[in-house]
Amino acid sequence: MGGKGNHILMVILIGGMLFGFCLWSLLKAPDRESLTERRQLSAFPEMTKEAVLSGRFMNDFENYALDQFPLRDSFRSVKAMVSRYGMGQKDNNGVYLQDGYLAKLDYPLNEQSVSYAARRFAYLYDRYLAGKNMKIYLSVVPDKGYFLAEAGGYPAMDYRALFHSLQAQMPYAEYIDLLPYLELSDYYRTDSHWRQEKIIPAAEYLAGRMGASGLRDIQIVSLDCPFYGVYYGQMALTPEPDQIFYADSPTLRACSVYDYETGSWLPVYDLEKGTERDPYQLFLSGSRPLLTLENPNAKTKRELILFRDSFGSAIAPLLAESYQKITLVDIRYVSPEILDKWICFQDQDILFLYSASVLNDSVTIK
Amino acid sequence: MVFSSISFLYYFIPSVVLLYFLSPDRFKNSVLLLASLFFYGWGEPRYVILMLATITQGYVFGILIGRSHNRKRSKIFLTASVLCSLATLGCFKYADFFIENFNRVTGLSLPLLRLALPIGISFYTFQILSYVVDVYRRQVPAQKNYIDLAVYVAMFPQLIAGPIVRYSHIAGQLKGRSHSLEDAAAGIRRFLTGLSKKVLLADTLGQLAEAFRVTKEQSVLFCWLYAAAILLQIYFDFSGYSDMAIGLGRLFGFRFPENFNYPYISGSITEFWRRWHMSLGSWFRDYLYIPLGGNRVSRPRWFCNILLVWLATGLWHGAAWNFVLWGLMFGALLVLEKQWLLPWLKRHPVPGHFYVLLLITVSFVLFDSPDISSACSVVVSMFGGGKLPLVTTESLYYLKSYGILLAAGLIGATPLLSWIRKKIQACGRAARIWNGAEPVLLAGLLAVCTAFLIDGSFHPFLYFRF
Repeated sequence: MGGKGNHILMVILIGGMLFGFCLWSLLKAPDRESLTERRQLSAFPEMTKEAVLSGRFMNDFENYALDQFPLRDSFRSVKAMVSRYGMGQKDNNGVYLQDGYLAKLDYPLNEQSVSYAARRFAYLYDRYLAGKNMKIYLSVVPDKGYFLAEAGGYPAMDYRALFHSLQAQMPYAEYIDLLPYLELSDYYRTDSHWRQEKIIPAAEYLAGRMGASGLRDIQIVSLDCPFYGVYYGQMALTPEPDQIFYADSPTLRACSVYDYETGSWLPVYDLEKGTERDPYQLFLSGSRPLLTLENPNAKTKRELILFRDSFGSAIAPLLAESYQKITLVDIRYVSPEILDKWICFQDQDILFLYSASVLNDSVTIK
Repeated sequence: MVFSSISFLYYFIPSVVLLYFLSPDRFKNSVLLLASLFFYGWGEPRYVILMLATITQGYVFGILIGRSHNRKRSKIFLTASVLCSLATLGCFKYADFFIENFNRVTGLSLPLLRLALPIGISFYTFQILSYVVDVYRRQVPAQKNYIDLAVYVAMFPQLIAGPIVRYSHIAGQLKGRSHSLEDAAAGIRRFLTGLSKKVLLADTLGQLAEAFRVTKEQSVLFCWLYAAAILLQIYFDFSGYSDMAIGLGRLFGFRFPENFNYPYISGSITEFWRRWHMSLGSWFRDYLYIPLGGNRVSRPRWFCNILLVWLATGLWHGAAWNFVLWGLMFGALLVLEKQWLLPWLKRHPVPGHFYVLLLITVSFVLFDSPDISSACSVVVSMFGGGKLPLVTTESLYYLKSYGILLAAGLIGATPLLSWIRKKIQACGRAARIWNGAEPVLLAGLLAVCTAFLIDGSFHPFLYFRF
């Protein structure tokens, strides 16, 4: 089949690709991390007798070869494009593109996971809050799938059932429904999180329901670098990057943040982190087990304890106006059993603010 | 090491090709053997010795059988070799299955051996078995060169998932073979066709099957999607591997037998098994069915022979009851066809094709399921007996997401594309364009397969477990 020209071209092209990429892989200096996937790349594995005989070396070498392959990001984009446009697949690695937004397939509702989260919250209530006449609130942040999935024909968890289930299992908390104050554009296009500059009405409503007021004299400041969100690397297509904005105000400029883990004071907005691998860490320096946001200019002595996940980092500064102190607790990173070492639970407002995606996969909650 | 891996494509193959073609002819088999041992050791470092021991016993008994002019003595050597091979296979593959069932029946609790299954043991054991039997039958002379015999058994293209190559088929090629640009191009073409089948179709459809396995929202539609996915996944996985093996063999100057011939266009189960895993079917025919008497016996005995062969075929695929049932199901269907159905199927080809596709689909649900009850549950649900909803949002989503791929798979499982290519080849001007475009197209396919390998991690070869 085919003539001599065909044979020569075939051998040269395919042989060239195989030998070319082989040489390129061997000669290229290994990369340390993938910026789009936000992870360390595998290094050449250590070759020991035990590693070889157990097969670990071979597995690690394959991971190394995959991670260090030349033009890796371009190949990942090729795969995403062929999957989407050639094979008609609706998602790539569980992430889909709809109306210019990247979102994760998150379904079905995992009732057991929601119940587990509710049990951990009940533990906090029983141990620290019960019988103290504290005002306890609950709110759930839907992920983008709430706004996107149905319209695009993507399966999504039953959000209403999640909200009702959690409310039913937390009768001690007053539910604050944020849905009327949220819409798709309140989220980053390439990331799972909400945009701080867009959720100001939601924060005002939340504060109002707790008898407080939202942040005043807000100035929106933009960070002058592109924000490639967490889904950008997973999807491997190349939509426009996001841009990060943050809400500044005289109140926030006077605030200080204390990190109990490192015993250090942090800025409310860590602008250096805004230029790093995960710019969302700009807000309260990202994932931290225990922080306090202290407002020396607060007109009251009210305090708020916010049990939260990463969505809390962006909204907490917007609640700072009326509270002298906001304590942010992330029980994914600190055991709830030892919180009384740092927090005296007395007279504070309590807000449980969790995203639907964390509640639906709550195994990380301690 | 698997063919569909970066380490194989971009480290192993370039190195081996370079070494092989730079070596003088008299060292080419040694290079292939060393490469094959490295290839096998990469995945199974501890079992290289087991494979070498199997080859060694085949080599020694082959020589003894070949030298023996006494028929009785050569039969003893043959029996010893066959027992060695079957004992190894039995020990590593079937011992725990039999102990488990023995314990279940007797109420005893004999300890299980819990030995890891050596990759490709069923394939290389069957090759050694056929070799010593052929030597015993005087169909081939015993191989005196250990390296040549070891290359026959351990040659990496066909080592771990076939096709099952007969010694008689490549004995001459082991001694001396030619290499040409045409062979290299044909080998590359065949290899990349197989790689694309495996990476782009089988692995992607495998994700649909996996989505069904983990779903909490089953539906009738999802059951059918799963069944269609595994029907195509198993075919493209296995035939893709065979294509890659045949292509690599061609690159190194070998002509391996074909293993698949568009089995899903068959009009009967009898025809299906002439088109599916042909090297296994012919192996069982020549080394079990015919020695049992084949069809030259009484009708009841003939049917018993068929059932016995298919019981063995089922067990060859795996030491589990669903494989036993799977094999017996085909045995029973073949008996039914031979006794009654074949004339009717020949007269009614359209319902015949539906009958084959339906039964093959059901059989692969059984093949893929962890146990018989799971398989029954899926099959019952497929026909509306599982009290499942007809569709769910999730199943509709997967239908939309995999619809094109399923359609492409169905078309790819027919000879349509091959027919189109032949038509193009027959047309002068179109052929010239095709000859120029084909290498570019294949290079593009290699790039896309590489992209899928880099981005994904779902590449199990289904036939590795056999």
